[in-house]
Amino acid sequence: LRALRKSYWQISMTVELDSFRQEVRAWISANAPCNWRTADSTHAQFAASQRAWFLKLVDSGYAIPHWPTEWPGGGRSLAEQKIIYEELASADTPRLLLSFVSTYHAFSTIHECGTEAQKARYLPAILKGETWCQGFSEPGAGSDLAAIKCKAERRGGTYVINGQKIWSTMAQYADKCLLLVRTSSEGAKQAGITYLLMDMKAPGVTVRPIHQIQGDEEFAEIFLDNVEVPVSDRVGEEGAGWTVAQATLASERGLTLMELSYRMRGAMGRITQLIRNAGRTEDQGILRDFGRLATQVDAACAVADRFLENRMAGLEAVGDASIVKNSYSRALRAWSAFGVRLAGIDAQYRDPIVFGDLNSGNWMADFMNSYAWTIAGGSEEVQRNIIAERMLGMPREPKGWVA
Amino acid sequence: VIDLNELRDAAQKAFPTDALAPDRDASRRRIVDLGWLMIELPEDRGGLGLGSAAATTVHFEMGRVLNSAPLIPAMLGIHAVSGNAELIEQAISGAYVALPMLPTQVDEDDLLIGTISGVFDADMATYVIVPLPDQIALISTSVAGVRVIERSIWDKTRRLFDVELNNVRPDVILAEGEAAHALNRQLAKSAHLAIAADSLGGANAALAMTVEYLKLRRQFDRPLAMFQALKHRCADLKTLIANAEALLWSLADKSDASLSEFGAMKAYATDVYRTVTEEMIQLHGGIGLTEEHPCHLFMKRAILNAQLGGSSDDLFEARCRELLGEYA
Repeated sequence: LRALRKSYWQISMTVELDSFRQEVRAWISANAPCNWRTADSTHAQFAASQRAWFLKLVDSGYAIPHWPTEWPGGGRSLAEQKIIYEELASADTPRLLLSFVSTYHAFSTIHECGTEAQKARYLPAILKGETWCQGFSEPGAGSDLAAIKCKAERRGGTYVINGQKIWSTMAQYADKCLLLVRTSSEGAKQAGITYLLMDMKAPGVTVRPIHQIQGDEEFAEIFLDNVEVPVSDRVGEEGAGWTVAQATLASERGLTLMELSYRMRGAMGRITQLIRNAGRTEDQGILRDFGRLATQVDAACAVADRFLENRMAGLEAVGDASIVKNSYSRALRAWSAFGVRLAGIDAQYRDPIVFGDLNSGNWMADFMNSYAWTIAGGSEEVQRNIIAERMLGMPREPKGWVA
Repeated sequence: VIDLNELRDAAQKAFPTDALAPDRDASRRRIVDLGWLMIELPEDRGGLGLGSAAATTVHFEMGRVLNSAPLIPAMLGIHAVSGNAELIEQAISGAYVALPMLPTQVDEDDLLIGTISGVFDADMATYVIVPLPDQIALISTSVAGVRVIERSIWDKTRRLFDVELNNVRPDVILAEGEAAHALNRQLAKSAHLAIAADSLGGANAALAMTVEYLKLRRQFDRPLAMFQALKHRCADLKTLIANAEALLWSLADKSDASLSEFGAMKAYATDVYRTVTEEMIQLHGGIGLTEEHPCHLFMKRAILNAQLGGSSDDLFEARCRELLGEYA
């Protein structure tokens, strides 16, 4: 009887989720931007389109499914969140790149660690389009984030900041910044870090886009010259920034990589088209290699799916997220490298790139773009350390090396 | 509905991981006693009807211990005869109906002539299934004209035979025409799933042994497991296994997926098993090259698994041809 009751519950859940999926699908087909790949010829136009698409999703209630119920469109279960991203991927809508740091990183940090005043000031503004960037990495602090040097000095009610940040996604369009600064050099390097919310329009902030090898400008450098941030915009205590930063970094667990894996699988037709155009449909070498690649992509999708299912069942294990990331990034590299190989000389004639698309069919651009996933967000090598040390229990290297 | 965790625990109790390649005949008896051969067979045919995820769980666990008894060919043999109540009855009482795991070269005629390759433990078999182009026949191993010849193989954890047929009249024709094709496809899907599960159970055991060894073995005054160069290789193996496993479980209860998806999944899983065992020997160093150490047992089993049910090259090619059709 208990088994029967359980299965009844599962069936009614499935029916509810199916109808939610239909609702999302119908909304997307009526509202998704068309021809977005060719619509924006400059990066600024791309940013404007991103803003418009995000606000449309806010109005419909699909932009912030992971926020709590009191927010319009919030309070969605992980299963419903998964459906939204599956549908956005399968309808080939533009990825939400510009608003990502705002709705995930900024939201989680302020919601979990912010003061009431900070919540009231910043969270509603995100839904009106106020855009955040992340000021974490520095030229001397990449994988070793705790080595940051950007300095904040307390002067009465303000911090005065000097230093440099790098690899901030779309910081050139951001209104606000999640900023990690060093307030002390005493003790462990993690202990002297403080977390601030900075106005990007404040005097002394200079943003310079980074010209990437494929011609995109997805990241920027931020230079800070005597920038003042009021103490009321500090999150957590002075020196507690490392702990607060964990809330930022843990804010998004697996949905993006599931969405991206699905988008890669959805773009498989670009490669079959290429095989046909190149007259290689009877080339056994190509057929075998593509069969293998398609299976690798299916496996990356299955890994991402399984990770989310385990999370829904409360079974997430340490290191799982690292496996999802390395699986996706390697599949993406293989996907784009295969395109470069098949397209031959055609891929060497330079076409305009498509902003915000990792599987655009501009093969050289896609290949170069794929490094974003093996390097950003915790490099492949850092993920390997996590897998080896925390999943396989292999010992850490001894600390305290000096040159 | 069966709890797969309970099944896994029961399997690990019956076949502890510290006893690799346990005795074949004793294992066969234990497998029959545990009812595993009937695990997937529907209840209305005398089976337990626990579904293919349960069967996959058993194959996975038995791959971990390098099972030496006929399990995959016996379970599939039962599926092949599941329409025949009398044969099912015999199988339940312990008769081994073997499904060959390699392509057969037998002429389709009233009297069968040719060689059936890839029959595991044919010395124990009462019947052998003979897949023919438009028929699936069953022969008894005890009739005149049947010769069972053991082939020496590298994989010491299993025993492989050719069955030679010289004017042998089939006992039964199990299926013909479209029904035979459909049964063949169904058996091939199940075989891919089972071989992949065996491979990934083995790959997990191989990686666990390797990591344990690296933690114990000391050189340059530290455990080898501390060297990042080796840690990263182990991490990549772990990631590969996780990929193949996720793909395996995504197909384990998805019988509507195409045969080419199952085939490509199996090819991917056996490639991963091969890679893991190749690295296993390298990371063990000299000891991995000795016969007394079990590394080679895993490696040889992995490479044989890659041949069972079709080679990776053919299976990936078939997957690609299907995708070219889908995106036409």
